[in-house]
Amino acid sequence: MTTAAETLPARPRPSIAARVWAFVRRHLLAAYSVLALVYLMLPIAVVILFSFNQPATQFNYTWQQFTLDNWTSWDAVPGIRDSVILSLEIAFLSTIMATALGTLVALALVRHRFRGRGPTNLLVFLPMATPEIVLGASLLTLFLQMRYPTGFTTIFIAHVMFIISYVVVTVKARLVGFDRHLEEAAMDLGANEWTTFVKVTLPLIAPAILSAALLGFAISIDDFVITYFNAGSETTFPLFVWGAARVAVPPQVNVVASAIFILALAAMTLNVLFQSRRGRQAKGTA
Amino acid sequence: MTFIHRHRWLAPLLLLAPGLAWLAVFFVVPLGFLAYQSLQSGTFEQGYTFTWEFSNYRDAITGYDEQLVRSFLYAGIATVATLLISYPLVYWIAFHGGRWKNLLLLFIVAPFFVTYLIRTLAWQNILADQGPVVGFLRDIHVLSADGRLLATTVAVVSGITYNFLPFMALPLYVSLEQIDARLLEAAQDLYASKTKAFLRVTLPLSAPGIVAGTLLTFIPAAGDFINAQLLGTPNQYMIGNVIQSKFLELIDYPAAAALSFVLMGLIMISLLVYARAVGTEKLTG
Amino acid sequence: MNHALTRAELLRRAALGGVVISVPGLLAACGGDDDGGGGGAGTTTAELADTLRFSNWQLYIDRDPNDKTKSPSLEQFTAQTGVKVNYVEDVNDNATYFGKIQGPLSQGRGIDRDIIVMTDNSRFPALLISREWVEPLDKGRIPNIANLIEAQQSPPFDPDRTYSIPWVSGITGIATNLQASGGEVVTTMQQLLEDTKLKGKVTLLTEVADTMTPIMLENGDDPSKVTDDSWKRAYDRVKKAVDAGQIRRFTGNDYVADLERGNIAAAVSWSGDVATGLAANKDLRWNLPEKGSDIWTDNMFIPLEGSVPTASEYMNFVLDPKIAAMLAVGIGYISPVKGVKDEAVKLDPESANNPLIFPDDDILSNVHQFDSDALNNETYTQQWQTLLGA
Repeated sequence: MTTAAETLPARPRPSIAARVWAFVRRHLLAAYSVLALVYLMLPIAVVILFSFNQPATQFNYTWQQFTLDNWTSWDAVPGIRDSVILSLEIAFLSTIMATALGTLVALALVRHRFRGRGPTNLLVFLPMATPEIVLGASLLTLFLQMRYPTGFTTIFIAHVMFIISYVVVTVKARLVGFDRHLEEAAMDLGANEWTTFVKVTLPLIAPAILSAALLGFAISIDDFVITYFNAGSETTFPLFVWGAARVAVPPQVNVVASAIFILALAAMTLNVLFQSRRGRQAKGTA
Repeated sequence: MTFIHRHRWLAPLLLLAPGLAWLAVFFVVPLGFLAYQSLQSGTFEQGYTFTWEFSNYRDAITGYDEQLVRSFLYAGIATVATLLISYPLVYWIAFHGGRWKNLLLLFIVAPFFVTYLIRTLAWQNILADQGPVVGFLRDIHVLSADGRLLATTVAVVSGITYNFLPFMALPLYVSLEQIDARLLEAAQDLYASKTKAFLRVTLPLSAPGIVAGTLLTFIPAAGDFINAQLLGTPNQYMIGNVIQSKFLELIDYPAAAALSFVLMGLIMISLLVYARAVGTEKLTG
Repeated sequence: MNHALTRAELLRRAALGGVVISVPGLLAACGGDDDGGGGGAGTTTAELADTLRFSNWQLYIDRDPNDKTKSPSLEQFTAQTGVKVNYVEDVNDNATYFGKIQGPLSQGRGIDRDIIVMTDNSRFPALLISREWVEPLDKGRIPNIANLIEAQQSPPFDPDRTYSIPWVSGITGIATNLQASGGEVVTTMQQLLEDTKLKGKVTLLTEVADTMTPIMLENGDDPSKVTDDSWKRAYDRVKKAVDAGQIRRFTGNDYVADLERGNIAAAVSWSGDVATGLAANKDLRWNLPEKGSDIWTDNMFIPLEGSVPTASEYMNFVLDPKIAAMLAVGIGYISPVKGVKDEAVKLDPESANNPLIFPDDDILSNVHQFDSDALNNETYTQQWQTLLGA
């Protein structure tokens, strides 16, 4: 860059228009990208901003006055606390279940040659290729036909179902490039399959499992459509928002959304840092 | 020798069984029940009975052709829009992001972490008739004095675009990031213009990302009803709105089930057409 | 059981004590010397649940002006009976709410609610009763049922009031946001449906009776005796308006948010919402359509597995004229209870003269009930639902 700048004056000066055009061309992509990022961030900024608003009426959409009250009394709105707790419970339980089931499927798909791999892949892919509304509607049909009451259990079942596929895909992607020699070495040294798995395999694929679990957690806590169909009289946080949106969304909803956002971002950042450190360590020892 | 060693064929089975069983019981079986329900006849008052009522499908298609067309139209436009918005952005991050790459990538996934409904409600506020955006557009005469954004097709398609953008951007990024920078340099040496180098080398190499992103965006977008509900009017309602209200409000299960399968079928057909156009191996790869 | 009784008693006393300290005025107005309400409560508290689970519509309970999360009448109920109230505003329109609860009810299971509220101008009250999805009231706990005004004693869907007690009645009209309408007050359905200045800034109600009654009246038809012809005339007008993009949305109670913020200029609206819930916004106006409109009554029911004693106790509580007056004045709707006006004068003389809360003959001659046969007509229902966009 500097060399280009130094050599420029030596040549005949290009016209101003040409220089402006050159400048624009050089920075067009960057400018466009910044605009795109602003567009991505705009609604998030609005959500966070209005979590600090003190609305004059029950309607929170014109800026009135800065306050921390909504954050200190985030659970003052009846029902919001229970809905957040329920969402967290569902997300925790269904993530653990789905991560376990999905990781096993991913291991089988990457490690073993067996008949029926094609159909297995298809079965894993299909839930992701099915619109949520169809997943929700068909599960509700099942529960209705079986006369099984919708509620906590059915939300859990539904969430595990749609998280599994994402876990399989995420873990599988990381496992493909996995070096099997370490495991073989462990076996040669006399470790049995279980010990090898716990002491060698698991630590190696842990980051992949962690990423999958984070993804699963994020999907679960965000899900509205499938839960809407199968929640019965239970209210998760997104369902609470849906109900509140019918009249007035209290600023406390923005508080919870902002908190979820900040926590998720923190978890992602930690994950990225952790993985890049591991990456460097791996390179260092190689 | 352990038990597993003697029965090697058992290992994959044991690993697969719990996960696949879950998917079979709670994904495949429910679809079967939905299919069964889609062939029932009757009314909510009298109850529904199974009668091989294939006319439900005909009624679904003829009665809701508008919403069906709209769903695929909006999803298609939104998919193209997400591609146009995210490709340059992701390209910039992948090739000019330097050490900020991961941070910038976080910006792209950030919307994921704000509850879907709340993101959409935020757009409802931003685009409101008395809001700043509409005010500005009226001032510069892009909108007429009583023009609006909320409750228009533009708002619904923009909402879908925004909500599904990360689904497009992430696979795109993955495919662009894998491209060897030296390859691009070689391409620029080979082809005189940057544009040509991009069209001949970069774009084809990022094709898997485009394909994956298109699928991940188009499918959920075609089944969406939140954006039309919160940002549109009945004249923007999509097939998801119809399924949702038939299922949960009108308790017209057979019609809702038939519509669900029509939606799935049309999505499958679009996938097949798409697969033919881009090549099957890219679709499943 | 014994243990529960002591606990409930304790709670009751503690709560009563709290009220004496915090709201002495209220207690003087309707607490200690109360002869009608809560009469039998003391002896039979054991059967009452700890919490009354109550599903109601938005803007439908009196609120403490200083703390909108509190409701004086609900707090008083808790004070008198020891029963806490879990008050949930999750009814937005009849059809959606019915859709939500019908799943468990159809399987003979409860919905975690003791009281739900549905409107007599929908087909659902009759449906709930004919399907046996609601529990009969414990009339022994509702001596105040004698306070019902005559017109409310024997509704067609429940002639002996075996299953239901009216909550309040209301009138459907047209609300205008002057800022969004350009200063014009909307008073006819013709303006609403056909004035191009309002294009895209109008909402109608999803309730067929509320939207169709004023249109039929404007067409010169009788909404209490709907014919295929009169239905078609009204339907065609709405359809035309929808196709022209005049109608922004069909709504339940959710029209209030869009109306308040000026996203819509005019809405088919329920009488009390603008008068009380949205009173802070000075740009809002509410009018009865010039050719008249419909009057309806919301009714409380006890869904399957709801606590009959607790719900009945509450119903008796709100049939006390003093409580009924608090509600009527607080939410701006018409009370079904005798003697409410006298109590309302004591609470708020201005509200006592509000013709929407205490309608005069002028208004009463201009409001009608929608044909209940038409509500159950399968063809109309289908057509209407298709119009709503689904």
